[in-house]
Parts: sequence; C-alpha cells; structure tokens
Amino acid sequence: MAGYSILIPEFLLVVGALLALFAELLPGGDRGAAWLGAILTLAAALVAVLPATANAQPFGGLIVLDGPARFARVVVLLLGAAWMLWTAGRGEGRVREAVSLAMFSLVGCMLMAEARELITLLVSVELATIPAYVLIGYRRGDTKSLEAAIKYFLMSILTTLVMLYGFSFVYGLSGSTRYDSIDLTRAGALGVVAVMLALVGMFAKLTAAPFHYWAPDAYAGSSPWTVAFVSTVPKVAGAVAMVRFVSAVSASAATTGIVLAVVAGVSMLLGNLAALTQTDMRRLMAYSGVAHSGYLLIGVAALSRLGFVAAVAYSMAYAFPSMAIMLIAAEEGPQLSDFNGLAQRRPATAWGLVLLLLSLVGVPPMIGFFGKLNLLLAGQRAGLITLVVIAVVMSVVSAGYYMRIVRAMFFAEAPSSARGQKPSFVAAFAFAMCVAITLVAGLAAGSVYGSIGAFLH
Amino acid sequence: MLTLIVFLPLVGAAVCALLPKNNLQWPRWVAAAFSAVDLALVVWLALHFVPGGGRQFAESFAWVPSAQINYSMSVDGLSLPLLFLSALLTFLAVIASWKIDKKPAFYFSMMLLLQVGMNGVFLAMDFVLFYVFWELVLVPMYFLIAQWGGPRREYAAMKFFLYTLFGSVFMLVGIVTLFLNTGTFDMVVLTTRWSTLLPAGLQWWLFLLFFLGFAVKVPIWPLHTWLPDAHVEAPTAASALLAGVLLKMGVYGFLRVSLPMLPNAFHQWQWFLAVLAMISIVYGAAVAFAQTDIKKLVAYSSVSHMGFAMLGIASGTAIGIGGAMAVSFSHGLIAGMLFLMVGQVYDRAHTREISQLSGLAGQMPMIAGLLAFASIASMGLPGLSGFIGEFMSLLGAWQSPDLAHWIVFAASMGVLLGAAYMLWMMQRVVLGQPSYIIADCPDASLREVLVVAPLVVMIVAIGLDWDLLLRYADPFARLLAKTLGA
Repeated sequence: MAGYSILIPEFLLVVGALLALFAELLPGGDRGAAWLGAILTLAAALVAVLPATANAQPFGGLIVLDGPARFARVVVLLLGAAWMLWTAGRGEGRVREAVSLAMFSLVGCMLMAEARELITLLVSVELATIPAYVLIGYRRGDTKSLEAAIKYFLMSILTTLVMLYGFSFVYGLSGSTRYDSIDLTRAGALGVVAVMLALVGMFAKLTAAPFHYWAPDAYAGSSPWTVAFVSTVPKVAGAVAMVRFVSAVSASAATTGIVLAVVAGVSMLLGNLAALTQTDMRRLMAYSGVAHSGYLLIGVAALSRLGFVAAVAYSMAYAFPSMAIMLIAAEEGPQLSDFNGLAQRRPATAWGLVLLLLSLVGVPPMIGFFGKLNLLLAGQRAGLITLVVIAVVMSVVSAGYYMRIVRAMFFAEAPSSARGQKPSFVAAFAFAMCVAITLVAGLAAGSVYGSIGAFLH
Repeated sequence: MLTLIVFLPLVGAAVCALLPKNNLQWPRWVAAAFSAVDLALVVWLALHFVPGGGRQFAESFAWVPSAQINYSMSVDGLSLPLLFLSALLTFLAVIASWKIDKKPAFYFSMMLLLQVGMNGVFLAMDFVLFYVFWELVLVPMYFLIAQWGGPRREYAAMKFFLYTLFGSVFMLVGIVTLFLNTGTFDMVVLTTRWSTLLPAGLQWWLFLLFFLGFAVKVPIWPLHTWLPDAHVEAPTAASALLAGVLLKMGVYGFLRVSLPMLPNAFHQWQWFLAVLAMISIVYGAAVAFAQTDIKKLVAYSSVSHMGFAMLGIASGTAIGIGGAMAVSFSHGLIAGMLFLMVGQVYDRAHTREISQLSGLAGQMPMIAGLLAFASIASMGLPGLSGFIGEFMSLLGAWQSPDLAHWIVFAASMGVLLGAAYMLWMMQRVVLGQPSYIIADCPDASLREVLVVAPLVVMIVAIGLDWDLLLRYADPFARLLAKTLGA
C-alpha cells in the first residue's frame, strides 16, 4: 500500500474529475466545478512539492518519482490550476465536462512524466490526449471546431500507432518493456528503426517539425481557451517522457542524436519563419510552439545529463507564457488585431504580456533566458555548433513576431468596439500567476535546475 | 553601495509606474529626485575611489550556484567615468524632458529603468549578470523610441531592437563558449587567470562572437545602419542617452572583455579593427556632410567620433586605450549636449532641416551660442574635452608598431572633415538672416540653460585639466596595454 500514498496528487485529480461531472449538485453549478477543480489541483500541487516522495519507485518500478517527474508534476498541476482558475473566474457556459476532461488529462500528463515502462507510457499518453480531442471540439455548434477536432484526432491516433509500432519492435528486440532492462546494443539497424518509429510519435506530440503540420490548423479551429490547455500542458509531460525514453535507449545514440538534431534545427527554422507572417494568435502561437520544441530538442539531442535537465526545464519556460498569452487571447479575441490598444485598456495585463513575450525571446532575467542559456551550454558542449547558431539567430527572428504583439498592444489604435469585457479578479489572478512564475523562476533559476537534478531513466 | 546605485532607479521606475497615468507633476519630480540621489551616490563613490587602486567596492554572492553564476559587482578606472556619465546624463535627460505631457508616468519610469541597465552594465563583473543588464537596456529604449519618437518611430525602434539583439545573442554564444572552456562566468578571473591559457584558435572565434555584440553597439561601419534611424526618431532626451551612454557600452565591452580576455586574438584582429575604425571615421564624417537634417548630421558625427575610440582600442597602446576612454567620456558629454541643443531648436522651429533654419544667433542668442559651443567642442578644438581623446587615439595608433601609418593618416583626415561639416552647419544655422520659421521663438529658458550648464563646465574643465579624467583612465589603460604586451 505504501506505493499508493505517493500518488495522492493523482487521486485528488481523479476525485475532482468525477465530482466535476455532477456540477448541478455543487454550489455554483458549472462555476463551482471549475472552482473545485482549481482548488483540488492546487492542493495536489502542494502535496507534489513535499519532499517525502523523492525517488520512490512504486508498482515494481513501473513509475518513478525522480527529479524530472516531480518537477513536471508540479509544473503541469500549476498550469492546470491556472487554467481552471481562469475558467472559474470567467464563469460562463457549460464547463463541467471541460474541467473534468482537463483533470483526467492532467493525470495522464503526470503519469506520462513518471512512466518508465513502455505500456505505462502508452496508456498515460492516451489518457493525456484523448480528453484533448474532446476539448478541441468542445464547441459542438461550431463546425470549424469540429473539423479541428477531427484533424487533431486522426493525426494523434496515427502518430500514437506509429509510436506503438516502434514500441513493439523495442519489446521484440530486448524482451522487455521496462526502461531499466531495455537493451538495444546488439539490435543493429532494426533497433534504430524501432527507436525512430517511437520518436516520430513523440515528435508529433511535441509538434516538432516536420510532424507539426496538423497543429496550426487544429488550434486555429478551436477556441483560444482550449488551445491554452492543449498546447502547453501535454508538452511539459512529453518533454520528460521523451528525455526518459531517449536516455533509456541511448544504445543507438549516434543515429538518434543526428535525427534529434535535424528535427531540432528544422523545427526552429520552420517554426520561427512561419510564425513571422501569422495574424491569428492561435496560429502564431502554434508555430511558436514548433520553434520552442526545436529549442528544447537541442537539449535532448545533446544526449547528456546537462542537456536532458535543460530540456525538461525549458518546457516550463515555454508553457507558462504560452498558457497566459492564450488566456488573454481568450478574453480579447483570437486575432492579433484584437490585441490592438490593449495597453490603453488594461495596462497591467499589457505589461505582464511584455514580460512573458520577452521571456519567450530569451531576454533575462526571466526563466526563458536561463532555459536558453542552459540549452546553448548543453548544445555547445555536445559540439552541436550549427544548432546553437540556428538557435540564437532564430531567437532574433522570434523577437520579430513577439514584438509585433507588443507593438499591437502599445502602438496600434484600439478598435472602436473592443471585444474584451472586464476580466474578473480570479481570471486576472490566474494570469498574474503565470507571469509571476515566469519571473520568479528566472530569478531563482538555481533552485529550479537544482530540483530537476538527476535522472533514473 | 554599488547595488544601491544600480537598483535605486528601479525603485524610482516602480514608483513612477504606479503614479496616476495623466498626472504631469508627480512623475517628473519623482524621476528627478531618484536620478539626483543616484548621481549624488555616484559622486560620493568617485570621491572615495582611489585612482589606480584597481577594483573597488566589490560585492559578491552566489546567485545560481549550480551553474557558478554569481551576483558580483565592482568598480574600476574603466567603469567609474562611464558610470558617472550614465548618472549625470540620466539626471539631465530627466530635466530636459520636463515638458513631456504624453503619458509622463510611463516615460519617466522607462527613463529610470534604462538607467538601471546602463549602471548595471558598467558594474557587473559576472558575465550572466552583465548580459542581464545588457539586454535590460533594450526594452526601455525600445519603448522610448516607439512611444515618444518621430514619425517613423515604430520602424526605428524595431530596427534598433532587432539589430542590437542580433549582436547580443552572438555575444551570448561567446559567453557560453568561454564558460565551457574555462568553467567560470567571473569576468575578473577570466581576465587575470585565463587570458593567456585559452588556445589561440578558440580565441579568434571568441573574438568574432564578442565583436559582433560590441560592434553593433559602438557602432562600427558597416553595422551602424540602425543608429541614424534610432537617433533621428528618438525623443531628444533618449537621443542624448543613446549617443551619450549606450554607444559607450560597445567601447566598454571591447575594453572589458575582448582585449583583456582575448589578447592573442586581439593581435590577429588588430589590423582589421583599425581599418574598420578608419572607415567609420571617414565614412561617418563624409555622410554627415551630406545631411540636410541637423539631427542626422549629429548622428553620423557620432559614427565618426566613435571611430576614433575604436582606433585607439585597435592601437593596443596605453596612450591609445586611454584615448579611447577619453573619447568615450567626452563624446558622451558633447553628443549629449548637441542632441539636447538640437532638441531645443526643434521644440521652437518644429523643423530640423538645415536649409530652413538660419540666423539663430539673431533670434535666440543663448541657444545659438550653446549650439556653437557644442559644435566647436565636437570638432576637437584644443582646450575643450573633445581634443584629448582624439589626439591620444591618433598618437597611440601612430606609435603602435602593428598599425600602418597610412591608416592613421587617413583617419586624421576625419578630424578635418569633422571641423568642416560642423563649421558649415554652424554657418548655415547660426549665422545669416533669421529665417521666418523662428521669427517669434523665445530664447532658452532658465531650465534649458541649466540642463546643459554642467556639460559646458565639464567640457571646459576636462579640456583644460586632462588629469581630471586621465587619473582614472590612465592606470587602467597601462595595465591593459601591459596585458597586450605592447
């Protein structure tokens, strides 16, 4: 039974997810469900930071609570809490299913980051992504939203199957699905194929180029509120899962490293250049997500502990700003022009966004800078000079489109009929939480990196 | 103490930002108070600083221990004059902006935030901290240009931001590479211990990376194209700070990082630097000749003058390096003053076209006199501060065994050109019949005179007594020249 106690955060979320479905019995209805979800998620985050669970390996080692897992758990819980708080503050429409689905997805994400066995990984990936299909198509009356959901669903299923196909080869070659007994040293070319197939699936989940093409369309079809969740939370878990998998199969390191490096380079180039011309915030952030996956993969491609830690930490530097930006897009409208004159209407929010956007560019002292600094360190040490140069040049390019948002907020004329209504205090608090985490994590970068620490692959 | 000097304006910026949006009075008084106190602290520091005593007032604690990143600051003969320049010009810029009525709270908080970055750059002794401040400067300057600038302000602000970001990300790669090969971000340790240990091939590459970061800032031809746009579009006070302090960050970088940490690479690059410096001097002066906009003329003259600083650096001699530091300091005073005067003219005439202005002396003798004074100082007339630096830079470059004499000869043509375009400008603007445009314009107010008065005093004082500046600069220059083996 000892094993179960460390899964208290997961249990809390499952309870919350089930309760949220009975919103009519809760005080406040749908809004109450969102409140309940937010509070339980925050409680789970509190439990998750307790040191008592360090390096536990319950269930015979199928999952592990090492540094990266604990880090990812706290990050996804905080992201989820911010999202549900915002939903509660917004308080409109039927959100009980959305809250429930998001909580199930959070459980999947946590398990994904903890899994050190292929079947566990697969099941948790499914648990994390199946709710996302529904969330994307959450607005039933909207045909674009449904189209986006179908696209997302088909692509996701396809890439999951490719990943599963790869897993089956890994199992066939090493006779085990557990990371600590996977051995592909004598597998030769087939081992490489197996790893590649599995990686392709993971690339698609991280929206790394060239497996990203579904993301801009899927995001642009659904509401920014959904995109805020779907484009950030699973990526944090995906980064940890990928790092864990790559370090487990490092036997085929040379080829894996090359493939990872190529995907990283292509993602950075394609993501940043494509984002330059977007006028829809959802598409812009989708391409920016491709670019950030590229940066993150530098750390994975470095195939070193330094690189793995840097990649895991970077997922956070990407996720919080992106979540906050999409939440504001949900309030103001999904087009870039909807941000026009935001500094006039809501100066504090505009300044918060400036901070977040600068963090995404990699300007100190926010976490984005330390994230990039560590990725560059890892890449440089591994001799990936080309990637490092691409990364820094593309950071400048990325400033081009992030600053367009700043320009819209500060220097563009506000439309005569601004769509945004006055956000509630709670929604503003959720946004402020993302901003504060982005800033404080940067100032306390030492403890963030220290907390990730070592890996048990 | 240093921490207080750096972060006091941050408190001021926060206070300004929280003041009511459309209040005219409060923000400017708050900004003036904070920048005045900061200036007083810097003066106190200068009085307690022992010239030639190396690094002083050091502060240090671990910031990100796992990556050996420290929060460490100290002040030496190189940083002190520039720190003073930053504090003085910020204070004067605040006073010069007294009449800002568009979002004053926002404006003054940006001004103070800019000062945090500028002060920090000159004091940080850890590469990561240095980079933090280096980047911090971009943000307020972007807003100052883009919000209060001229008609093409958004374009100019974006160009400024992207150009300098482009330079600094390569500097970041340089910092990362340096760290991986030495295991430290500490700029003092890197200077004293590692400068001779790094292999020459690696040094060459590192020099290139840092060169890109610093050369954009100085700016050196052909990386200067952001400067005319940014200077012309920026509001008066921001132009003065841009020319007065931000450009010096580039020179500072060369003297703090490139030369002392990568001395071997410096000798490989020396020639190249000297040629670029020469081109900057002559090109800047020649293009300044062709300008019809007086602010643009001053902007290009900055390119030319900063070329002298680069020539002094490229000489690698104690005199040349001292000259580079003197040029930096004195150009900060003179260019700051020129931009302030041009701003005062523009406030009245609402044009900066040289052809439309004439006869300032008849209509507003005070402004005309101060403008003429600044122009003469800019020419490098002996007895004023501009002379020392250019003279020492040229002398150092001439003495340097590594530089061909024709480079120095060509560069000295820049002095002649500089005198020529300034005189020509004065002839057209100051003298002649008062143009109808300035017919009813009042002369400078007391505030406007007081803003530039400290600059006038310092330009004259340093011009007459070189030692005021050189006693800080000289020990550093000698030490650096010894490292370089010249």
